[in-house]
Amino acid sequence: MQYELRYRVIEAKRNTYQNIIDRLGDQPASRYLEGTLDVQPRENFHYRPTWAPGRELYDPRFTALRLTDSYSFTDPRQYYYTPYVTQRSALHDEFGKTLAYLQDRELLARLPETWHTMLTSVVVPLRHYESAAQLVSVAGARFADGTSIEQCCTFAAFDRIGNAQMLSRMGIELDSGHGGVLDAAKQNWLDAEHLQPLRRLAEEIMVTSDWAEGLLAVDLVDSLIYPLLYQGLDEAALLGGAGAYSLLAQHFTAWFTDQRKWIDALTRTWAEDPANGEDNRTTLARIAQTWQPRARGASAALASAIDSHEPGVHATEVLADIAGPGWAQPAGGAA
Amino acid sequence: MSSTLRKVGIDIQESEDNRALIDAIRADNPDLTIRHLPGLVKLQAAGQIVINRQTVEEKLGREWDTGEFQLAIVSYAGNFSEWDDDRILVKWEH
Repeated sequence: MQYELRYRVIEAKRNTYQNIIDRLGDQPASRYLEGTLDVQPRENFHYRPTWAPGRELYDPRFTALRLTDSYSFTDPRQYYYTPYVTQRSALHDEFGKTLAYLQDRELLARLPETWHTMLTSVVVPLRHYESAAQLVSVAGARFADGTSIEQCCTFAAFDRIGNAQMLSRMGIELDSGHGGVLDAAKQNWLDAEHLQPLRRLAEEIMVTSDWAEGLLAVDLVDSLIYPLLYQGLDEAALLGGAGAYSLLAQHFTAWFTDQRKWIDALTRTWAEDPANGEDNRTTLARIAQTWQPRARGASAALASAIDSHEPGVHATEVLADIAGPGWAQPAGGAA
Repeated sequence: MSSTLRKVGIDIQESEDNRALIDAIRADNPDLTIRHLPGLVKLQAAGQIVINRQTVEEKLGREWDTGEFQLAIVSYAGNFSEWDDDRILVKWEH
């Protein structure tokens, strides 16, 4: 007796969800697209925002930067919940491992005095800046039109909490497991002269009503502070006996590289939009013009504070070489 | 001697990640024929099939090592005439 093995292909009635079929046709799509395209409701809202008459709950008019189709932007990292959480848990695991290594060898406690003072008075207080950036990202998460943008903002907001946490853990370790450095950081954030321009700037960005403008203003600050503090100090830290700082700083640089991917893609989409590109480019230029000098001023104050503690770093010169984000470069640099 | 090119083929296991890979291969090889079998996708093209790391990374949204291609393929017909960090090229060389 012989059996003949055969298989039958049962065609699926549909390969994907309707939101994908409407845009891309009936073909298998990635989880990212399935959970992103046209997910945000567009019509049949029960309630209107009483606090913003003339606006819908989700409304593209919450920002001056418009897209003909909100979903012409998609996250180049394709983050939805699972990949985002996997990526970030890996980042924080790595950070934890680095910190454990430093802890075992008490490397942070053994930092040169000048580096210790510099980190406690300049770097650790930036956890409060991260907190401001978190609020700005949350505003984007609420007011952005289209799930693809909104979801990037949501993840960015959580990232900011994560970054603040990394800074806090660094601070606790700098104080050999106590919270003294964190208390001092708070006082510094409130009182220290070198942090006031940044604090003022952060607070003004927080009350900017256009969510995209706020987000981009934060990006302008990020684009100076991250390369300055976490990359620019690297060389000097390694040569100046503060290798421990370099080990920690790499994780912030890794995060910033990731953050750049979606911000750059989004600004490019805005600038190249077929119908609104012209207006968007004008708006982007205006935002850069408004906030770039202030971002420079705030980071210059940080740089000179670093130089006063540790002149070998030449932070002011390092800062002068940092160009800022691509979208804020004049003429053609934005596209 | 006929001038028709012999077909090369790659069979790829069907999965979420590999779908992006197949998209990338489709983008870089316009003359590709794709057949779906249960759990398997058969790709065929005359002459050669090229896989570019850059395209795969764009579709996949993350960094992709050409070595990961090993995990995706079930079978292939042709020679791997090139396999470096940026590109994989399958073609008949004789």
